[in-house]
Amino acid sequence: MLYREAGDYKTSYVDDAQTFPIAFDRWRYYVVLVVAFAIIPVFISDYMAKSVMIPFLVFCIAAMGLNILTGYCGQVSLGTGGFMAVGAYASYKLMTAFPELNIFFVVLLSGGITAAVGALFGLPSLRIKGFYLAVATLAAQFFLVWLFNKVPWFFNYSATGQITAPPRSVFGVDVTGPEVPAWGAYLFCAVFVFLLAWLMRNLTRGRVGRQWMAIRDMDIAAEIIGVNPLRTKLSAFAVSSFYVGIAGALFFSVYLGAAEPTEAFGINQSFLVLFMIIIGGLGSIFGCFAGAAFMIMMPVLLKNLMVDGMGWPTTIATHFEFVIVGALIVAFLILEPHGLAQLWRLMKEKLRLWPFPH
Amino acid sequence: MSIHAAEAASDDVAYASQEEAHGIEPRRIGGTVMEMKNITLRFGGVTAIKDISFDIKEHEIRAIIGPNGAGKSSMLNVINGFYHPQEGEIWFRGAKRGPMKPYEIAQQGIARTFQNIALFKGMTTLDNIMTGRMTMMKTNFWQQAMWWGSAQREEVEHRRRVEEIIDFLEIQAIRKTPVGRLPYGLQKRVELGRALAAEPKLLLLDEPMAGMNVEEKEDMCRFILDVNDEFGTTIALIEHDMGVVMDIADRVVVLDYGRKIGDGTPEEVRANQDVIDAYLGVSHD
Repeated sequence: MLYREAGDYKTSYVDDAQTFPIAFDRWRYYVVLVVAFAIIPVFISDYMAKSVMIPFLVFCIAAMGLNILTGYCGQVSLGTGGFMAVGAYASYKLMTAFPELNIFFVVLLSGGITAAVGALFGLPSLRIKGFYLAVATLAAQFFLVWLFNKVPWFFNYSATGQITAPPRSVFGVDVTGPEVPAWGAYLFCAVFVFLLAWLMRNLTRGRVGRQWMAIRDMDIAAEIIGVNPLRTKLSAFAVSSFYVGIAGALFFSVYLGAAEPTEAFGINQSFLVLFMIIIGGLGSIFGCFAGAAFMIMMPVLLKNLMVDGMGWPTTIATHFEFVIVGALIVAFLILEPHGLAQLWRLMKEKLRLWPFPH
Repeated sequence: MSIHAAEAASDDVAYASQEEAHGIEPRRIGGTVMEMKNITLRFGGVTAIKDISFDIKEHEIRAIIGPNGAGKSSMLNVINGFYHPQEGEIWFRGAKRGPMKPYEIAQQGIARTFQNIALFKGMTTLDNIMTGRMTMMKTNFWQQAMWWGSAQREEVEHRRRVEEIIDFLEIQAIRKTPVGRLPYGLQKRVELGRALAAEPKLLLLDEPMAGMNVEEKEDMCRFILDVNDEFGTTIALIEHDMGVVMDIADRVVVLDYGRKIGDGTPEEVRANQDVIDAYLGVSHD
């Protein structure tokens, strides 16, 4: 009954084009912001931060990145893991080469470096489409991981071949290294998620986003209208890789602390992020959050339920977790092929009329 | 020309139509906008278009007709740069056109619609038409990323123009509907809107009335005539419905097997023996 546009008059085009046209949605958005930035940091435990919130936030960013490329611009990519590795190694090299540089800018610069690499690997997209492009990006995935394994310069010639994040702080609070307070790491990631989601909304609501979507929906018509396909596709690759690079940098420096490319940034990560955006919803910002939440939080929830709730041994619970998550993915895709974002949209359309059917 | 200017011009046209009652020609067909000189287009061994020349004059409605496979759509594809003819010259607004990409030609002011609707299915009507104005948007990537300020101002300014087109085409009610959900006739109308949004110097319509019922055809005819009248847009269209072509076209060019067999006013074309033969067949006795 609260969820109405009735009585909420739009008197300018700016009002009409706002992100949340319904008043209730706007309030919900502010509530989410307050919870995310004022309430969770106060109460967050080490366990919650380490195994739920930080991976969730990091993968939100990665999912936003891939969604820009796949959901908005229609270019399939299986190179997400490789590009996350670029972000991680860029941040490692920057942190060790410029110890004075603030970690915030290190992460941003890592995104920038990844954007350049991503645009380079996006070049084949001009000639190849669909599955064939997916295979081409797969090459990027394997090449990049191989590169970071084989060229010692990238891991500063360390004996183990691993990279380890040195301690760095923002406003005197550690966000990387061995002694990080849970709330500090959480807030650091949350700020990035907020800024990047805002940026994504800006890019997708205007000319740039419409260019991407035009290429996605009908590339020939887009070109006839005046969209330059080369620049549009490369910009999608660059922006997408910028996001994925930031996700990789945060994944390594804040979440893992120490990483080794084959395991941390393998093809599994590429698939994980791809599942997130398919389950969450292609071409939707909310879908990125929903998909990341589903893929990160559902296993943790199931594990807690089975191990703590029902007293099963951990090994069995782990196996069952795979089975159940797999079944849930299939079930969701059958129920709603357009993802959780579409379910959300349908629910909102129903809510607008509730409790009256017409 | 901006739509405001076009509206001012349409006032002139209104006066002109009053003058028409006194025997004065209402629409001023101007000089040549586009000239095709000896165009030949081959695909491997197949010659789709053979040595065709014709011109399109400012403010006129120019129809291209012909039986199936005559090379009409190929001709439009040559005009908007999708195909590059092996021989011949294309002159647009007094300058010879070099080899250009389709998006560069769009930026020169040539817009088109497609025989099979080529809308952006996942986007709303509004977004589709806004995309049509893309070549006129000047803010750069960084301004777009920041949104507040110049990008938003630009968006609102273009939205105003787009709303005028939406009003003109009477599609206010489907403004926020994804076009994939719209019926065929409305999709055709949205596609026309998207082409109009670019404020083209030359508008190419590839079978704008294909697959429509009589009522929808009449609506579409009215829109085409209104576009031509109010905005003064030069239009080149391909159409199979002879009644429509004879009614709305100023001049008609007839193609058959990639050759030009007739060119002139509808009356002249109708009287042309080659055209009658092409359409009705030649008796062999």
